[in-house]
Amino acid sequence: MNSAIRNGLGWSTLALMLTSLFMVFEWVPTEAEQGIVQRIFYFHVPLAWVAFAAFGIVAIAGVFYLWLKDQIWDDLGYAAAESGMVFCTLVLITGSIWAKPIWGIWWTWDSRLTTTFILWLLYGGYLMLRAMADDTPEVARFGAVIGIVAALDVPVVILSVRLWRTIHPAVIVTRAGEHGLEDPRMVVTLLVSLTAFTALFAWILMLRFSQLRVRSRLNGMRREAALIEAAARDY
Amino acid sequence: MGAFAAILRKDLRLEIRSGQSTLALFALSLLIMVVLVFALDPQPSDRAHDAAGALWVALVFAGMLGATRSILAENENGCMRALTLGPIDAAALYGAKLTGGFIFMAIAELAAVILIVLFFNLEIGAALIRLAPPLILGTLGFAALATLLAAISGRTRAGDLLLPVLAVPLFVPALIAGVKASEAALLGLPLAAEGQWLGILIGFDVLFVTLGALLFEHVIRED
Repeated sequence: MNSAIRNGLGWSTLALMLTSLFMVFEWVPTEAEQGIVQRIFYFHVPLAWVAFAAFGIVAIAGVFYLWLKDQIWDDLGYAAAESGMVFCTLVLITGSIWAKPIWGIWWTWDSRLTTTFILWLLYGGYLMLRAMADDTPEVARFGAVIGIVAALDVPVVILSVRLWRTIHPAVIVTRAGEHGLEDPRMVVTLLVSLTAFTALFAWILMLRFSQLRVRSRLNGMRREAALIEAAARDY
Repeated sequence: MGAFAAILRKDLRLEIRSGQSTLALFALSLLIMVVLVFALDPQPSDRAHDAAGALWVALVFAGMLGATRSILAENENGCMRALTLGPIDAAALYGAKLTGGFIFMAIAELAAVILIVLFFNLEIGAALIRLAPPLILGTLGFAALATLLAAISGRTRAGDLLLPVLAVPLFVPALIAGVKASEAALLGLPLAAEGQWLGILIGFDVLFVTLGALLFEHVIRED
């Protein structure tokens, strides 16, 4: 049942991705001011949306884990953090590729870039914690706490970074996406691309999640086996 | 309240009798300032900007040691387990550790403030008094954050590496607000310029003290 849904999602993702690729490279008109490079917008924005959504899932899974103490929530949170990290890294990379020809620089401490970068660092901290520790309920709780704290920190980051950059205006104030999408085809392409990347994320998340579920079950069995072994030895 | 006072008193007495952290934190503050002076080579024109930056670098790095002092000490000899076995509310324990961390950090910062006045040739006057609110609020925020995170990092492998990786990105909003507020204070800008940053610092403190008190229980519990 589960694998049927997963496979269905996988194939739909493939179809959606191919459609959005066609639309981005063939169908959508080229933006007048920026030219061909603006097309990276249809990848950049969906990636960013997924990166932020994944972070939300980490936090919500953390709350449920601390509340219900069911391993399933930790597995979901961990899977979301890992996949989210990939998308967040891609946001920063596509952003840099876009920034270079348009702004003439790879990086600027603009409010959105800074916020995304901080988000990336927070993901990094979470994953480092998981990498440095074993899969115990204790570490799962630590992960949940970090996920919640980090998610609630993000609004404060956005607030402070925005204030930081209004007082010291960046050299470049106009941003490509804010020119508005003049052609309705641009809106349609963006929507298809958003759906495709959301499906891709959901699919990757499901794959990783079921993998972690198996691992947790295996860990549980190992613990049980160790207990039985110890009991048998005592007997 | 009784538990809170008892734990805080114990931590402070431990520090007064040994005197180790205070001395180490003073030395650390001094060394950070020395490094920054040579690294930045402060020019008279950017004095306020450089001094504010140096102060907050010292706050973050000294805080990493100072704020976590009282909580990491409990990891030795299973002291933390003993504390969790007692009839102590986790929030009270968190409050006591947070207060202890705040005091140790404040000591290090006092040293840092004296040193920036000397090294950056600042005027002694109203500007220094206006530095107090951002410093106190920033210290509280960092101590709140570091106390919660140190309870985590202290119980993982290579935890001393993990603490900065987790603490610094989370502290970014308070760091931005703190540096800007301190700069405004040192430049003698109107109070409103400092006020909006203090607002962010207050919000950060309320958020992290509340989160710490609520989540500490899940971090120290053993099963």
